[in-house]
Amino acid sequence: MTRRTSAALIAGFVGSLGLATLPVLAATQLTGAGSTFVYPFFSKAFYTYSQQHPDITVNYQSIGSGGGIQQFIAKTVDFGASDVPMNDDELKHAGGAVVQVPVALGGEAITYNLPVSTAGGLRLTRETIADIYLGKITRWNDPALVKLNPHVSLPDLPIVTVHRSDGSGTTYIFTDFLSSVSKEWKDKVGTGKSVQWPGASTVGGKGNEGVAGQVRQTPGTIGYVELAYAIENKMSTAEVQNKAGKWLSCTESTVRAAAATKANVSATDFSIVDRPGNDAYPIAGYTWAFVYQNPSDKVRAKLVKDVLSWVTGNDAQKIAGSLNYVPLPETVQETAKKAIAEVKV
Amino acid sequence: MIAGDRLGSSRRVAGLAGVVLTGFCSALAAGLLILLLGYVVVQGWSAINPSFITQLPHPVGVSGGGVANGIVGTVIVVGLATLISVPIGVLTGLYLAVYGRGIAAELVRFLAEVLSGVPSIAIGLFAYTILVKPFAHFSALSAAFAFAVLMLPLMIRTSEEAVRGVPTSIREGALALGLPDYGGVMHVVLPAARPLIVTGLLLSIARVTGETAPLLFTAFGSQFWEVNPTNPMAVLALQIFTYAISPYDDWHRQAWGGALLLILAVLVLNIGARIALAGRTKKF
Repeated sequence: MTRRTSAALIAGFVGSLGLATLPVLAATQLTGAGSTFVYPFFSKAFYTYSQQHPDITVNYQSIGSGGGIQQFIAKTVDFGASDVPMNDDELKHAGGAVVQVPVALGGEAITYNLPVSTAGGLRLTRETIADIYLGKITRWNDPALVKLNPHVSLPDLPIVTVHRSDGSGTTYIFTDFLSSVSKEWKDKVGTGKSVQWPGASTVGGKGNEGVAGQVRQTPGTIGYVELAYAIENKMSTAEVQNKAGKWLSCTESTVRAAAATKANVSATDFSIVDRPGNDAYPIAGYTWAFVYQNPSDKVRAKLVKDVLSWVTGNDAQKIAGSLNYVPLPETVQETAKKAIAEVKV
Repeated sequence: MIAGDRLGSSRRVAGLAGVVLTGFCSALAAGLLILLLGYVVVQGWSAINPSFITQLPHPVGVSGGGVANGIVGTVIVVGLATLISVPIGVLTGLYLAVYGRGIAAELVRFLAEVLSGVPSIAIGLFAYTILVKPFAHFSALSAAFAFAVLMLPLMIRTSEEAVRGVPTSIREGALALGLPDYGGVMHVVLPAARPLIVTGLLLSIARVTGETAPLLFTAFGSQFWEVNPTNPMAVLALQIFTYAISPYDDWHRQAWGGALLLILAVLVLNIGARIALAGRTKKF
């Protein structure tokens, strides 16, 4: 390579970088991070939004609710998202008033991988789910499971529980459910975005993606994932007995029924797990988005406000419905609207 | 005589065993590599088509789409990393080979050695701490910085070796013809060392192109077109990571396709490095 050709190459390279930068400078990129629970919805919704608004792209990365809250507090993203609102301690670290907006509603399916046919469904009571995750039921042919599922020839296979390895709102909802159905779980493990998993045979996965992947690939596993992940990947999901004693699958209508038992939610009163009611599926929750009430960059904050208003509005919630989430109830949409209005731009 | 024969035969046996063992190990290493490459080609081939290379990623659950933004992002991030690391790496190598004496040079060499052993994720966290958090913004620039730091040790080492490889007599000849010292170094020594420096550069580019860990908290990733280096950006290696841990079959396929693209890019770089070296042997 002569000196002239290498100089031309470098000039060309730098020049094309500059040229390529021009048209895109006009588009503003907003960034969000957090919940993997809501990612299939956000991914589709923001894709649609940028098609309708070519000058805006909303870049949402599913790094987990815990990571979303951390990056929000570090102010490296325009908004964070988590399946559990920020707690007092996190709000204290935020260094400024935070507005929390409910943006999505979804259910968590108990999904499993068994090398035998479970036609007719696998049934699990709330207590057996807790016992499995406590490590008290360790084999698939445990008498407790056989008794619930006489129609399935359950194999003599160890149960491997799959949990989230990252800080997760999905884990929060699941452990909130386990704590409310099992005193032993509440005392020994408790509720949180990441907990000490007590079972001996348990593996972690990063994000809902990771848990779904682990369960799909490993026979004998059981895990908890947002419904969209289970359906999208054609995974088997268990029927769960609810508080009223009814056997329910995780579906849009049973999650909607669970949400309907609570007239409204707020950042301090948000749990909808293990609700009474015949049709209420016991493991469900809302995803929350966070923005600062007094943002320093008003121009970007205005754009984020527009995005959040659109996400909680009917058009985007219809998209959520088509992806096996439940469109936000009207009362919650109102709550979201009021919260968004609190942001001062 | 009998003792001598015995010694001879035992030596022959030992020698043969050595050849067989080393040959077996070489075959094993080469076989594993071929197996790995073959597997990536078989798995990735079906994913590679025009739309995979020219389209943006589709949202979750919508099949198809491509990694065009990741390919462009990789070129931008690696390109910026090259712009940062080449001047620093080459000049440091030059200093060590020509001017560096005593404890200062030893210290620089030692630090470069240490730097090459630092895990890439730690360098990514370092970039996050000094370039992402203070500016409250993920950016391709911070990823380029992390990559530049990763490239530096190899750049410094190969540049030093390259300059050392130029006979002192050539530099003295330049001085004797009346060129000032810096002129001799700039116009005579560096051009002569260039093929090796370029080789080192291509190898260090190949080394960082497949790095994922430093990107997690710097480039951040994106589903959209983004070529402004101060914004978060998609990078191929990061896309492969995201796709590979996802539960979607379509994304798994695309992850293999992306891996194949990366391997092809590294292959081209390695071939480029060999051609650059061949240029050197012709010159001398």
